[in-house]
Amino acid sequence: MHEQAARFGRANHLTGITGLPSADARSTGVIVLNAGLVHRIGPFRLHVELSRQLNARGFPTLRFDLSTLGDSGASGESLAREQQVRSDVADAMALLRKQAGCSRFVLIGLCSGAQNAHLVAHSSEAVAGAVFLDGYAYRSTGFKLRHYLPRLLNPARVARHLARHVGRRLRAAPAAGPGFQVEFPPQARVRDELTIMLERGLKLYFIYSGGSSWYFNHRRQFGECYGRALADHPGVTVSFRREVDHTYILVGDRRRLLDDIESWLCTHFPQLAPAREARQAAAAT
Amino acid sequence: MTRRPEPDIPCHFGPHGGLFGLYHPGAFGAKTAVLLCPPLGQDLIRCHRLYRQLAHVLAGQGTAALRFDYYGTGDSAGGSEEVEWLRCLEDVATAAEELRLRSGCERIVGFGARLGASLALAAADNARLDELILWDPVLDGAAHVAALDALQAALRFDADRFVAPRPVKALADQWQGFAVGICLRQQLAELCLDPLHRRTLLLQSVVAGAAADRHRFAAAGAEVASLSQHTPWNELARLETAIQSHELIEIVSRRVQEVIHA
Repeated sequence: MHEQAARFGRANHLTGITGLPSADARSTGVIVLNAGLVHRIGPFRLHVELSRQLNARGFPTLRFDLSTLGDSGASGESLAREQQVRSDVADAMALLRKQAGCSRFVLIGLCSGAQNAHLVAHSSEAVAGAVFLDGYAYRSTGFKLRHYLPRLLNPARVARHLARHVGRRLRAAPAAGPGFQVEFPPQARVRDELTIMLERGLKLYFIYSGGSSWYFNHRRQFGECYGRALADHPGVTVSFRREVDHTYILVGDRRRLLDDIESWLCTHFPQLAPAREARQAAAAT
Repeated sequence: MTRRPEPDIPCHFGPHGGLFGLYHPGAFGAKTAVLLCPPLGQDLIRCHRLYRQLAHVLAGQGTAALRFDYYGTGDSAGGSEEVEWLRCLEDVATAAEELRLRSGCERIVGFGARLGASLALAAADNARLDELILWDPVLDGAAHVAALDALQAALRFDADRFVAPRPVKALADQWQGFAVGICLRQQLAELCLDPLHRRTLLLQSVVAGAAADRHRFAAAGAEVASLSQHTPWNELARLETAIQSHELIEIVSRRVQEVIHA
């Protein structure tokens, strides 16, 4: 594994770290997007650990800061946020294509990173897959039943819930905790965009944590949100880790997450870079 | 006077290029540069934006600055469980040399927050730091270890984070998101730092132990200043909230200007 710091982009304003496998590389590059305002190393260094583990399995990686986040500056353009994100990721793909010869890409993002991954995956032909950590989902009837029924049937939980909420209201200032609030686009639009991605052959991995339990509380909710056709599509993988927090603060939780992402990538993107394939073909003859 | 700083330069340096840094060029011919020593653990992430802003202000004043990550932290090589106090001290010295090399400055001011301040203080001789600016340095390692252990114990029951309490073993050998090796734990538990007899500015924004530290530093000839706002270093509810202080940036940049013109 070899890492290289890079200043790149159309205005030379982006900062990132490319990770190149020391042995034979795969043809699919992995780009890790910022999680919220945390700089490119990710919450508790999640993106560094992820990148290095994937490098060891032959995937070239790039973790970088989008415009004005982390160590990246502004591009000086007057672009809407969505266009800015698309342009930044296009710059990132160009860098990884140049440095590692990647022909297609998988995007990985947590929280706002998942939203940005969705945005780019929907619009860029170069994207072959995406991993959404606590990405879009919508409260379904099933969600509400699973959420409220146990509470209503358990007086002790009702009391605890009331005490917690009253306690919060009594505090002088609300604590800025690890909770997160994000604005989701209309459900029908997201469903349509996911359908288009799958029709294009993208592989999509949705991983929800217990930190998203205010809007997602069971694996089957994915089908309740988007329909069985999407949920059962061979290009879709869904998992729900109820016990885990939103930013994977525990080392063991992170390790299991990284192992699952690595396994999913190796299954869906086994292709080697052309040079290695040529060598293997030559050796076989 | 401020100028439009040149873009910072991301780089790898040190043994086997294992350390990551961002060099902020200063004005040509300047004699003094600033080494920004980051804290460890989650404080490193929380302070990232502030360190970047400070480096930009310094570079805008013509003073070169280097931000960097110790081995096992940030973008540097190594795993979190490999972070080790003595290696961090070596990294401070390596980074100071890198800054001298890149900037051409012989005079280096060391700045750090929390354990970053402790490292700047402990490495000052070997790294040949001429001046120190220390923000809430950890001087009593045992007390710090106890505070981090208490935070980690409380994390297990954090209802804002977990749906249900996690097993004890799931939180073992970690401090707030980072694996901790036995060696670092032992080294921090034994850490006991005293002020040095060199030009030092101690910046305080915590209440606990502040008076005693103030007197110790003042007795050693250091200047002491208090920030108007408390900094929530060890608060579980703010574990992932960035540390911001425009006041700190203003005080530090002013101090560096004083050093340059002294």
